[in-house]
Amino acid sequence: MTLEFSRSEPLTMGIELELMILSTHDWDLMRGAADLLALIEKSPHPGDIKPEITESMIEISTAVHTNYREMLLELSALRDAVIKSAQRLNLAIAGGGTHPFQHWSDQRIFPKERFYHLHEMYGYLAKQFTVFGQHIHIGVPSGDDAIYLAHMMSRYMPHFIALSASSPFSQGMDTDFDSSRLNNINAFPLSGTMPFVRDWQEFNGYFDTMRSLQVVETMKDFYWDIRPKPEFGTIEIRVCDTPLTVEKAAVLGAYAQTLARHLMLDRPREPSQDVYRVYSFNRFTACRYGMQAGFIDAYARSRRLLKEDIAETLVALAPHSEALDTGSALAGIGANLESGQNDSGWLRDTFKQTKSLSDVVRLQSRLWAGEQRAQPDRRIAE
Amino acid sequence: MDEISILPTFPLFAANMMLVGAVLLCGLASGHMFARYLRLPRITGFVAVGLVLGPGMLNLLDRSTLTELSIFVDFSLGLILFELGRRLDLRWLTRDGWLLASGVAECLLSFVLVYWTVRFFDVAPVYAATAAAIAMSTSPAVLLMIVHDQRAKGPLTERMLTLTGLNNVIAFLVVTLLFGFVHLEYQGNWTRALLHPVYLIAGSGALGYLAFVVGRLLARWFGKREDIQFIMLLGLIVATVGLALSYKFSVVLALLAFGVFAKNLDRNHDLMAVEFGPGGQLFLVVLFVITGAGLQLSELAVAGGLGLAFVLARLAGKLAGLAIFAPLSGLTQKKSALLGIGMVPMSAIAVVMVQGASQLYPEFGAKLSSIVLSAVVILELVGPLATQWALKRAGEIDAIAEERQ
Repeated sequence: MTLEFSRSEPLTMGIELELMILSTHDWDLMRGAADLLALIEKSPHPGDIKPEITESMIEISTAVHTNYREMLLELSALRDAVIKSAQRLNLAIAGGGTHPFQHWSDQRIFPKERFYHLHEMYGYLAKQFTVFGQHIHIGVPSGDDAIYLAHMMSRYMPHFIALSASSPFSQGMDTDFDSSRLNNINAFPLSGTMPFVRDWQEFNGYFDTMRSLQVVETMKDFYWDIRPKPEFGTIEIRVCDTPLTVEKAAVLGAYAQTLARHLMLDRPREPSQDVYRVYSFNRFTACRYGMQAGFIDAYARSRRLLKEDIAETLVALAPHSEALDTGSALAGIGANLESGQNDSGWLRDTFKQTKSLSDVVRLQSRLWAGEQRAQPDRRIAE
Repeated sequence: MDEISILPTFPLFAANMMLVGAVLLCGLASGHMFARYLRLPRITGFVAVGLVLGPGMLNLLDRSTLTELSIFVDFSLGLILFELGRRLDLRWLTRDGWLLASGVAECLLSFVLVYWTVRFFDVAPVYAATAAAIAMSTSPAVLLMIVHDQRAKGPLTERMLTLTGLNNVIAFLVVTLLFGFVHLEYQGNWTRALLHPVYLIAGSGALGYLAFVVGRLLARWFGKREDIQFIMLLGLIVATVGLALSYKFSVVLALLAFGVFAKNLDRNHDLMAVEFGPGGQLFLVVLFVITGAGLQLSELAVAGGLGLAFVLARLAGKLAGLAIFAPLSGLTQKKSALLGIGMVPMSAIAVVMVQGASQLYPEFGAKLSSIVLSAVVILELVGPLATQWALKRAGEIDAIAEERQ
C-alpha cells in the first residue's frame, strides 16, 4: 500500500498550537481538558480544538490560509473562544513551550485509546511529553515537492527554534536552554529527521519497510522535526515552541510560508546530506543559546552567528514577502534580531523581577490573553 | 527548707503536652488503620478514635481536657478558614453568574428544606432556623484534608472548594444574624439583639482586613520566599485567632475574612499561595480527633430520627440547588450530582458555634445541640466517605495517591 499524497494549494498554511491549561489558584497545570472541551463545543468557534496527550493540554488548529493577516485574525478568535470558556471554569490558558514548574508525574493521560496506547508503549516518556509546541503546515502540490521542501527547510530549523524558544524553565528549574522542550522530544525513538530520500516514491519504499517491520503503523508515529503530511498535502514543521502570543505564532507561520516560496520558486540549492551531518549540532546550539547561538552553514562549510544567517535570509525573502504580503511579519523578526530577545528572554526577565515561577505563569497567561505588555516592565511586578 | 525535687510529682506536670502528642499519635494510628484495612478515608479514623476516647465512651479525653485543648481547635479552625477563604474567588463568581446562582440556590434550598424538616419535629422557629443555617455549610476541614490527602486536582475540586467557601460565608453570616433573635428570645433586649451581630460581623471583618493589610506589607518586605511567607502567615493566623478571642469577635468570621481579602484584594500578588502541607495536617489530625471526642453516639439513640431527616433534607437541598443551576455553568448532570455529594460533610464548626452559643445561654446551647448533634455524628462519619467517593468518581483523585493507600 502506498501513501497517497493529496495535492494542496501551494504555499497555503495552517497552524496548530498546543496550549497549557492552568489553575488560577496556584498557576500549576490543571487537568481541565475534558470539561473545557465540553464547554467549548457548546458555542460556535472557528478552527478546531482537540485534546492532547495529557489532561492539562489542549490543541487549537486553524483552517487553511493564504494570507498571514487572516491567519492572525483566526488565531485571535480561537484564542478568545478558548479563554472565554476557560474563564467560566476558572481556568487560565497560556502559551510557552514548557510549564515552568509542573511535575511530570502529576500529569494524567487524556482518556483516549491512542493516548493510552502511547502511554503503554513509551512509559513515563508519555507524561514527560507534557510540552507545548507549534506546528506549521505548508501546502505543496505533490509528494516530490514535499520531499524537496522538507530537505531544504531542514537547514533553517535553527531559525525557527531560536525565534520561537519559550521553554527556559522545566520542572521548577532554569535549564540554561532557551528551548528545553525539544530535549523531551529527543528521547523518543522515532524523533529526529526524515531519512535522506530523493522523492516520494523512495519515501514510500522507506515507509513500507518500516511498516512491514512494525516499527510504525501510520505517519503519525514519526516524531520528526519536519515530516510530510500526505493526507493534508503539506509538510509539517514541528520544532517551534508554542510562543507566548498568537501574534508571534502568526509571524512564525508567515516566515515559514515566505521561506517556502523562496525555496520552491528560486530553488537556490539542491538538497544535501551535509545539512543532516551538522543538523543535530545546529539544533542543539539553537536550543541552548537561542538568538545568541552559533550556526554551521553546511553549504558554505563555515561557522557564523545564527542571527547573521537569519538576517541574510530575510534579505533573500524580501521579494517573496512582498508577493505574499508578509512584510510586517518579517519586520517583526528583524526587530527580534536587533533586540536579541525571544520569548525565553521575556520569561527569564519576568522571573528576575518577580522571583516567583508562579508569578511568571500568571503573567504569561495574561500575555497570552493580550492583557499584558510584551516588554517586561517594572510596574507589572509591583 | 523544702528539698528541691528532682523526681516528678504526680499528677505529671507536662500532662497537656503529652496529651497533644498522644491525641496526635492515636489519631494517626487509627486513620492509618481505617485507610489500610477498611479502605475508608483517614478522617473517618481520626473522628472514630476521638469518639472512642471521648466522654461518650472511654472518657480518656474528658470534658475538662477537651476544654484545655480548645486552643488547638481554635487555631486549627483559623488555619482552615483562612485556607478556605483563599479558595473563594469572587471574580469567578461574578464572571459566571450561574455558578453564583447554583451556590446561592444550594444554600437557600438546604436552609428551607432543613428548616421545614426540623419544624416538622416540633422545634421552635429560632432553633430550627439556627440549625438550618448551620446545615448550609460544608466542612472545609474535611474537604481540604481529602483534597490534600488524595492529591485531588481538577475543575470539580475547584468548584467544590469555591462553593464551600461561599456556603460557609453565607452560613456564618446567617448564624451570626440569628444570634440577634436568640438574644430577643432570652432577654427581650432589642439593643443587644441588634448590636451583637453588628459587633461580630463588623469587628471580625475589620480584624480580617487588618491581618490582610499587615500580611501584605510584611510580604512585600520579605519578598517571594515561600519558607518565610509560610511562617509569617502562621504567625498572622495565630495572632488573629488570639485577637478575635480576646475581643470576643468570631474566630471563624475573622479568619475567613482574612482569607477572602488575601485572595481577592491582593492585586499585586504579594502574598504567595503557600501550601500548609504536613504542618497543617498535624493540626487537622488533632482537630478531627477532638471533634470526634465531642460527639456522642447516644445522640443517635435519642434523636436519630431527627438527625437522619436533617441529613436527608440537607442533601436534597444541596443536590437540587446544584442540579438546577450547575448545568448552566457548564457542568454535566452527573458532575453536578457528584459536586453535591462531595459537599455532604457538615462543618465541625457547627459544633464550635453551638458551644459558642451555649456559653451565652446554656439552655439555648443544649436545645440546639439536641437538634444538630445527631446529624453531626452521622455526617462526620459518612461525610468524608462521600467526598472521597465523589472526587474519585469524577476522576480527580491522583492515581499514585490511590495506590499508596
